[in-house]
Amino acid sequence: MYLQRAMTRSIKTDYIVELVQMVSGLLLVLFLWTHMVFVASIIIGASSFGALAAFMDKYELLPIAVVAVIFMFAAHIGAIARHLPARWAEQKVAWRHAKMIRHYDTWSWLFQIVTGLAILLMALIHIAVVSYGGISVVFSKGRIDNPAFLVFYLILLLFSEYHASVGLYRIFVKWGFVSRRRLEFVLGVVSVLLVVIGCVSLGMFLALKLVGGVA
Amino acid sequence: MSPRQLTFHIFRYDPDRPEVKPHTQTFKIEEEMGMTLFVALNKIRDEIDPTLKFDFVCRASICGSCGMLINGKASLACKTLTKTLPSDITLFPLPAFKLLGDLSVDTGTWFRDMSMRTESWIHTDVEFDETAQEEKMDDDLALEIYEAERCIECGCCVGVCVTANIRQNFIGATGINRVSRFMLDPRDKRDEQEYFEVVGNDDGIFGCVGLMACEDTCPVGVPLRGQLAYVRRKMTVAGWHRK
Repeated sequence: MYLQRAMTRSIKTDYIVELVQMVSGLLLVLFLWTHMVFVASIIIGASSFGALAAFMDKYELLPIAVVAVIFMFAAHIGAIARHLPARWAEQKVAWRHAKMIRHYDTWSWLFQIVTGLAILLMALIHIAVVSYGGISVVFSKGRIDNPAFLVFYLILLLFSEYHASVGLYRIFVKWGFVSRRRLEFVLGVVSVLLVVIGCVSLGMFLALKLVGGVA
Repeated sequence: MSPRQLTFHIFRYDPDRPEVKPHTQTFKIEEEMGMTLFVALNKIRDEIDPTLKFDFVCRASICGSCGMLINGKASLACKTLTKTLPSDITLFPLPAFKLLGDLSVDTGTWFRDMSMRTESWIHTDVEFDETAQEEKMDDDLALEIYEAERCIECGCCVGVCVTANIRQNFIGATGINRVSRFMLDPRDKRDEQEYFEVVGNDDGIFGCVGLMACEDTCPVGVPLRGQLAYVRRKMTVAGWHRK
């Protein structure tokens, strides 16, 4: 027994942090998927997208979502940080290790870290832009017509779907019950589907013709 | 058909001679019928380089001494037939353990420490009565305990675990599997809160990030994912009850 351990009343914190990590992750996935389905309303037509945007405006859903997502980001990163190879020496060990044992899931964990950091940065930019401009067909179309923004959103789409899919896989793996092969298959199909839907949505915005500045 | 020429790339390092940097040394030998890495390494030591360090005891995948990275995959050298490998074979010692030299690592100190920290013994205040009839255990339960007990402590699961490699105190799949064995055992009188103190933290089950390199590696096929999930579920319930 060590002094600090004896003086720390309970070691429940690790457990709580682990739960926070999982719950915030699940909520972020739920948000991401809902978000992508909402954006996909453009596939039905600009009027559907507009109606959904109006609905969100009416109930102030945008600011609520922004605050909730930032809160969940903070919780998720705060909780996950304890697992990360934070020191430079640990980074070197982790990457060399993955190379040495050539293990797929170990590589995917490193990609989780990379995509996670990229998503953090890109999502914050995205949130800032949307908070500034609001949700409308014209504003979205304006961004997608800009090649730099188009690439930005393609990368954000791929990274977040990948990160969400691997994160979900990891949760199910940890808790048992479902076979890993089946998990890989189901999550793979869902993710590819969502990426396709996301790409089609982006394509719809590109193809959209604005008449006199309105859709 | 003439026998294959095997080229071994073997990690060499002597902690007592730090001036010689870690490097790989190449050895060429001729493959023999039914050759295992155990046989091959002994041949290299006998015929080419007597200073090569590696560990063996039983040669029958029971003692768990000869775990090493074989072309990147952790396994037991004694049960690995060279015919299952390409003619270029790279051997590294198991990571995460104290390196004694070349392919030899000290798993004993690590396992001793893990055993102490997980309190790997039956906790009971029942007085042992040597004249009494032994209590019979249910067959299914005995088999379930045996499933965890099959661990030979080779350390392969620890060697491949990225968490164990960057967090010195993480008890690894073998440690969590060990605890699961006691959780199943009705003779151990520890309650869930006592187990929580042992394994309900980041050095135990909540340190696991779920990469399952352990399960993909275990040379004796202990179903580690199931054992980890079992302990995780138990400890989640215990954490919920915890004041």
